[in-house]
Amino acid sequence: MHYNLASGVNLDVVPSKKFNMNQILINFATPQTFDNATARNLLANLLETSTKKYPTQTALADQLAKQYGTYLSMGVTRVGRLHCVRLKASFINDRLANSELFEKVVALINEILFNPLVNNGQFDQETFDRQAINLKSTINSYYDDKQFWAARRLLDLYYRDGTVMRVPSFGRSQEIDKLTAAGVYQTYQEMIANDRVDILFLGDVDAEQVKAAFAKMPFADRTINHQEVLYHQPLYKQVQRQVEYQPVSQAKLNLGYQLPLYSGKELYYAGLVFNDLFGGSPYSKLYVNIRERASLAYYAASRLMPFNGLLSVQSGIDSRQASRVEKLIDQQLLALQHGQFTDEQFEEVKSGLINQYLSSNDLAGNILGRRLANQLLGLPTQDETAQINAVTRDQVVQVAQMLNKQAVYLLSGEN
Amino acid sequence: MDNYLYQEFNRSIYRKTLENGLKVQLMPMAEFNKTYAIMTTDFGSIDNHFVPYQQEEPVQVPDGVAHFLEHKLFEKKDHDAFDLFGKLGADSNAFTSFTQTSYLFSTTSHLRENLDILLDFVQDPYFTDETVQKEQGIIGQEIQMYNDDPSWRLYLGMLGNLYPHDPMHIDIAGTVDSISKITPKILFDCYRTFYQPSNMNLLLVGKLDPAETMGWIEDNQAKKEFAPQEKPRRFFELNDPSGHDVIPFRSLTMDVNRPKAMVGIRGLKTFDDGHERLKYKLAVDLLLDLLLDDTSDNYLRLYDQGIIDDSFGYNFDMTRAFHFAYISTNTNQREKFADEVMAILDNADEEIDRAADHFEGIKRAEIGRLISLLDSPEAIGNRYAGDLFAGANLMDEIRMMKELQLADLHQAAKDFVNPAGMSVYQIVSQHQ
Repeated sequence: MHYNLASGVNLDVVPSKKFNMNQILINFATPQTFDNATARNLLANLLETSTKKYPTQTALADQLAKQYGTYLSMGVTRVGRLHCVRLKASFINDRLANSELFEKVVALINEILFNPLVNNGQFDQETFDRQAINLKSTINSYYDDKQFWAARRLLDLYYRDGTVMRVPSFGRSQEIDKLTAAGVYQTYQEMIANDRVDILFLGDVDAEQVKAAFAKMPFADRTINHQEVLYHQPLYKQVQRQVEYQPVSQAKLNLGYQLPLYSGKELYYAGLVFNDLFGGSPYSKLYVNIRERASLAYYAASRLMPFNGLLSVQSGIDSRQASRVEKLIDQQLLALQHGQFTDEQFEEVKSGLINQYLSSNDLAGNILGRRLANQLLGLPTQDETAQINAVTRDQVVQVAQMLNKQAVYLLSGEN
Repeated sequence: MDNYLYQEFNRSIYRKTLENGLKVQLMPMAEFNKTYAIMTTDFGSIDNHFVPYQQEEPVQVPDGVAHFLEHKLFEKKDHDAFDLFGKLGADSNAFTSFTQTSYLFSTTSHLRENLDILLDFVQDPYFTDETVQKEQGIIGQEIQMYNDDPSWRLYLGMLGNLYPHDPMHIDIAGTVDSISKITPKILFDCYRTFYQPSNMNLLLVGKLDPAETMGWIEDNQAKKEFAPQEKPRRFFELNDPSGHDVIPFRSLTMDVNRPKAMVGIRGLKTFDDGHERLKYKLAVDLLLDLLLDDTSDNYLRLYDQGIIDDSFGYNFDMTRAFHFAYISTNTNQREKFADEVMAILDNADEEIDRAADHFEGIKRAEIGRLISLLDSPEAIGNRYAGDLFAGANLMDEIRMMKELQLADLHQAAKDFVNPAGMSVYQIVSQHQ
């Protein structure tokens, strides 16, 4: 059931008795700019830490604990060019709680979103300073996860100079020193007043009651004008290459391909099938031929990024084998471009995708996440099994031929 | 087949021990699309000293053999079991811990076929020189990958401190050197000893019809011949059950931006009874919550002083052979963190009294978190620990959690916390 709480503020209610937990997802979206990601990430951290009524994180955590360990967290992500601040909450249903837990949780979310710990037009200075330091160390610690780091460095190499896509959705640590408690409060006010807001609820509460509860939140009308959500990047004249050295025992070789296929658009489902044949599943060419057959890697996988027109490959290898592995990856793509996959593999991959899709409907968080992405892109949410089944071999070959290798990043252990 | 209804959760569990000794449990979940199946043997990385099936002399096997066997069991003469699941669109996987090895699949269709694949590949070993050799390369890469993971090194470093002369101080996967010594004969010895049906259990959770599913399992088992069952004779003895061999402090320098510190505490209590063990486990879980979770005064104080940040966490691991708790954070104040946490644990009794008014809230939060796991077939399946907790499932845990009182926490603190069992491990940044 869909409601408009105000202009630009949507509420989607998915009634279900299947789960013991109810779920709430609230998304604030605005086009990403060069400097809003860091501020909005810090903002998300500040909001989930404390409120005027619950001025310390223990006071807030205590409320959540008393509400049967209600899980509540805020964070940031990106859908294409849209920067999103998200609030997620899950809590046991009223029957198991033996109380009106739903109303209490919505009231607490209202407190978090509309009564932040702000005085004289700025966030509480002490809280701000602590969260700023913590966010900085968190972003700096991403360096310590080599798999994540290498994936991030590939994106830096792939995205063109001068595009906001180069700025990660979680921001940049060097930007944090420039932020102030007053400035982030302004970011907060802009978000509450101007962002597109999508509220999604799934669980065992009457839809009208859900609507009435959220309608109490003081969201004002706003004008939404998000022109192009999806990101498309023109081709480089030559492949971008970079090698970096760190004392790692396992090297990481990551590749980025332009693949202009977008969620829900033409050939998207063929793209899913292609990805699983190429490197997206343990039955894929990369997994079988690089990990299993040649024993060259512990992992070798591909990932479709269907909001950004990009497909990436990640592998963990021995540094000395980098050029051999890259050649092997090229060969796997070439094989798919020539239709070298059996009918059996093709059908297996489709069954696997359908299995994943049906399984994801057993996870309340996934159901809401998918609905939200569709809503932001203006797509209907429907049963996807038919679309997966309808994909043809020719379409997969067509997708394979659309890939253009654009960036190759190697994190090497040997200098 | 006996069955038991948990009225408050509207869930039932169906149980049967088959003629060959395999213990089967089924838990249907209404409206779910997915079925999750997990088959577990009581055999893990610490079980490296035992008398092989129908032999007399004990053997010592190389470190990492349980995990190696797990990888190899999928591979057969002319196919890989993994591919058979794949052909049906199912997901399959396996994992090895210190004391168990589990094989699993999840599917939304063809349940019977998938179940047959699982039972057949686990019950039909095929190990040759050639396949063993190839696996040594793949697992070598896996071990190296974990070497670069600071969180894993921190955890393993702590185990090395708490149990310096016991098998737990070695990575579950072994070392590049130890796995090079594995042969097909060693794998067969382990297999025949620990993969007897009477040493295994099978659990299915999610979309299923109990009578029909049990029938499929029985049909499958009836077609096979099983050698006489023999209780595995393993020799696991802690090097020093009094815990005096705990190393109080070590550190490791790595290429990290953010240093890490962990305080570990080794429990010395032993148990004859799974219920007692589970009650103790839940009480220690609650104790740690009361002293350290994000509603505690301790948390706020350490957080506001920048001694801990959002990476702070703690856990309590309980296995049949040993148990310990660990508390860790990313921090630039490693010494201060260790001193503070150890002081809190040392004064657990007073700390419990001081935080007594938080007790009901914390207990309620734990109950809510356990209930949230009831929405996940995987969580229900993975959490089931067989005899360790006298066959208790997640719903039994919730019931037991509801009954815990503050006095149980005092008892748990008395039983668990001992200063000699505490230890500190640090990951230090080479950039500093």
